[in-house]
Amino acid sequence: MLDQMKMHLDRIRRSGASYVDCRWYPFEESNALTMWNGNLKQAAASRESGVGVRVLYQGAWGFSASSDTSALGAVFDKALDNARIAAERVTFPVRLAEKDAVQTAFTSPCHIDPFSVPLSDKVAFLKTMDELLDQSGIFQRIGDLTFMRKQIHFVDSEGSEIEKNITEVFGSLSVLGMDAQGAAHQRSFRLNQRGGTRGWESIDKEHFAENAERIVRELNQILVAPQCPVDDRSVILLPGQMFLQTHETIGHALELDRILGYELAFAGGSFVTLDDFGKLRYGSEKLTARADATLPNSPGSFGFDDDGVPAKDALLIDRGILVGAITGRQMVEEANARAHRVIFPESGGANRATAFYRVPIERMTNINIDPGTDGTLDEIVAATDRGIVLDGDRSWSIGSNREQFHFGTEIGWLVEDGQITHVVKNATYKDDTLRFWNALSAVGDPSTWQVVYVDNCGKGQPNQVMQLGHGVPVCRFDGVRIGE
Amino acid sequence: MKARILQTLTDLRTYALSKPCEIALFYHEEDSALMRFANSAVSLNTSEHLIRLEITAYAGRKRASYEMITDLTQMAEMRQGIDIAAEMVEHAQPLAYDPTIPVFSESYADESCYDAALAEIDGASKLATVNAAVTGLETQHLKLSGIFSSGVNTVAQINTRSEHTQFFRTTDAQVTVVLAHDTLKWEVQAEQSAQRKSDLDSQALREDLAFLVEQYTHAPAGQLPLGSYDVVFGPAATADLLNFMNWIGFNGGMARRGYACLREDQVGHKILSDKVTLVDDPSRRETFPYRRDYTGIPRGPFPLFQHGVFAAFTWAQDDADEYGAQPTGHSVGHKSLVLHGGSGDVDSLAALAAAPRDKDLLYIPFLHYVNIVNPTKGLVTGSSRFGALLLKQDGSIAIPFNVRLTQSVLDIFGDKVAWLSQQTVPYNTSHSYGARNPTAIIVPRFVRVNDLEISHANASF
Repeated sequence: MLDQMKMHLDRIRRSGASYVDCRWYPFEESNALTMWNGNLKQAAASRESGVGVRVLYQGAWGFSASSDTSALGAVFDKALDNARIAAERVTFPVRLAEKDAVQTAFTSPCHIDPFSVPLSDKVAFLKTMDELLDQSGIFQRIGDLTFMRKQIHFVDSEGSEIEKNITEVFGSLSVLGMDAQGAAHQRSFRLNQRGGTRGWESIDKEHFAENAERIVRELNQILVAPQCPVDDRSVILLPGQMFLQTHETIGHALELDRILGYELAFAGGSFVTLDDFGKLRYGSEKLTARADATLPNSPGSFGFDDDGVPAKDALLIDRGILVGAITGRQMVEEANARAHRVIFPESGGANRATAFYRVPIERMTNINIDPGTDGTLDEIVAATDRGIVLDGDRSWSIGSNREQFHFGTEIGWLVEDGQITHVVKNATYKDDTLRFWNALSAVGDPSTWQVVYVDNCGKGQPNQVMQLGHGVPVCRFDGVRIGE
Repeated sequence: MKARILQTLTDLRTYALSKPCEIALFYHEEDSALMRFANSAVSLNTSEHLIRLEITAYAGRKRASYEMITDLTQMAEMRQGIDIAAEMVEHAQPLAYDPTIPVFSESYADESCYDAALAEIDGASKLATVNAAVTGLETQHLKLSGIFSSGVNTVAQINTRSEHTQFFRTTDAQVTVVLAHDTLKWEVQAEQSAQRKSDLDSQALREDLAFLVEQYTHAPAGQLPLGSYDVVFGPAATADLLNFMNWIGFNGGMARRGYACLREDQVGHKILSDKVTLVDDPSRRETFPYRRDYTGIPRGPFPLFQHGVFAAFTWAQDDADEYGAQPTGHSVGHKSLVLHGGSGDVDSLAALAAAPRDKDLLYIPFLHYVNIVNPTKGLVTGSSRFGALLLKQDGSIAIPFNVRLTQSVLDIFGDKVAWLSQQTVPYNTSHSYGARNPTAIIVPRFVRVNDLEISHANASF
């Protein structure tokens, strides 16, 4: 198969294409289990295989994909045809940033292959968790396990040849309850980074059991809690909400294709302009953010992107100043040319496709906030006069240029004079993105820093769902409107 | 092709009959093409041909499924998929209820929503459609973005309970054309949904765009003061809000799980404005309808709200099995929602802008990133986008920077509704994360809702 791919690469190159690449997925498998109120509502598995071909012809992209690898030549021909049509409307001919050709492989760290574990063991695990969640006050109980495994062979017309073997494990527990007014509330636990590998070993019964007990207890507190007040307060975000704040208002805002207008028809743009790099005060001096695909053991670490560029640790915001973006080969060339200066010296290695039948686009890797020096969660709370501690993503809505947002969380704890007083329900907060990050007044120390896994980031047309991570500490922001 | 698909499923059924469990096969084939525009260029031109086979095994109360992307030539691979599903179900845990395995009493095929001309549309024609929509409107700073998405979608089913099959084939296209100012950052949009090639109308797209470009180029722009406004929603915003009503409103399973704003004791009661009549109407070909559901239940017009009175919840088969309800023919990829038109006589944006008005009207054509804040209250939040206008009482027009609405869908479609346009249009809502599933909702061209609170207003574009 690899020899045939290379043969067709050469053939299409000789037909006038300036660049060609091909991704062959011999297999991509998933296994998803959902237990809902004790019912195994979903026991699903999937397997797919196929090829995706990308052709650059006279400055325009064409892409084609098929699950039928016996017709490989036709897939290449169709991609070239598509590029020829696209070449009829070119305003900025696509160029690709330089990279080194590599022949290498990457395997994500996994100790016990989850696909080697019998289905009955996975079901038994969920059954145990369901029994733990089946407590007073709980109206709905949901347990989820998702496992993914894929092999990707990438070859391009520049001589790169990369094999990737990636295994992903995601797990979560959720409980729902009804308050006295008949309104539903929920509390959830999501499996995040634990240790150096992610395989079946991540499904630690004791860890899940501890969190099952915690979310049941916290949900029962929410059910009898007063409504979150409408107020302006300091907001203290735990990693279970801080990851989403980072994701939506730093991650998506700094995808270079969005900044350059390539997502305007659907996902939206960004308030950031090319002129802002090196100058814009994105946040307070306590804010340092990075796109770190070298972080060990995270879905946002994948060895090489789908341009064949190795994983990078790229600084995005340096002590509050915007310095970088989430980039791939095409966009950095275009951005530098449009800005008439070199903003991005090289690709950031963040161009990824969700499947063989999708084209790579700029995707988040691990968009992390560096830990700070403002102590533990307890110390940050103790140093807060009037605040609210928030956790658990419940609702999120962001402006089309990522300039403003409205979030709802599962739980809030009010803080008065440095002490947590009580739980509130229906907690929300909203703000303008730049005002919010510039109101960052405390960043927790490394003890508060957690890598949160995300399995469902959507972007692009046709839509693509991607897996990634966020390493984030506890953070406090001042003067934020809550409760609306 | 149809015969080959059905023969393949029949052959696979014969193989499945040897298994000690029941097997249901769900075949999905998409021939998808998407031309994407950005910065006035074709930024991407893709085509994918994908065949998915979902195999569900039932053994008493146990159920398991296996899905594969495959090809009709791969019989051995598909049989292996049946083997895997049959093995999985042995290790599954019994449900607390009896899952229904559909029995198709006759074979059924519906290709009435297939249009050969649209199926065969080539790249040059798509490019010409979009070019014509923006002729004379693009400038050095006003750049084209958008998509021309088109495809053929085929669904076929068989199971071991009978030899009969179900077969559905549709064509669809979704055209979105955006003109965005690269330095001022404003953006306007026109959209079209097509089931047939003849539904495509470049001139209509161009008229909408030209009107909005004229306003955005010359009218004063500014930040709106927070407060209450009379809002006129365009088709995209109305369809999006109805989608949320579909999710957290009249879905029986969601209601039983506590994740809905309607209760069973509200059936038969007036909940929404008496101007609101909402029907799931699979007779409307613009909605890419399923006229039978996946369990074989024939589907006809199904009233949801009649003059504001809540008529019924919808029940998919599995939810009905779990909660002891009667299935309503809603085990389908999508409903065919139709919000009936009303008495409003404006049928174009230009006519809306020119009509005399008793007070300022905030026109919101599109809501970006709507999400649920509180499902029990039907509370959702989202921001305006793509060509909002402030139609002032004195007849002038201003451009509002984007604003945020945080409102209950029960209020939006409640007694605050002032009028709905007589004219209705199909709005394409095919934002699928997975397999192609062409979907559209038919909505009035405009819906005016009075006294809605703006909770946030941007300070710039």
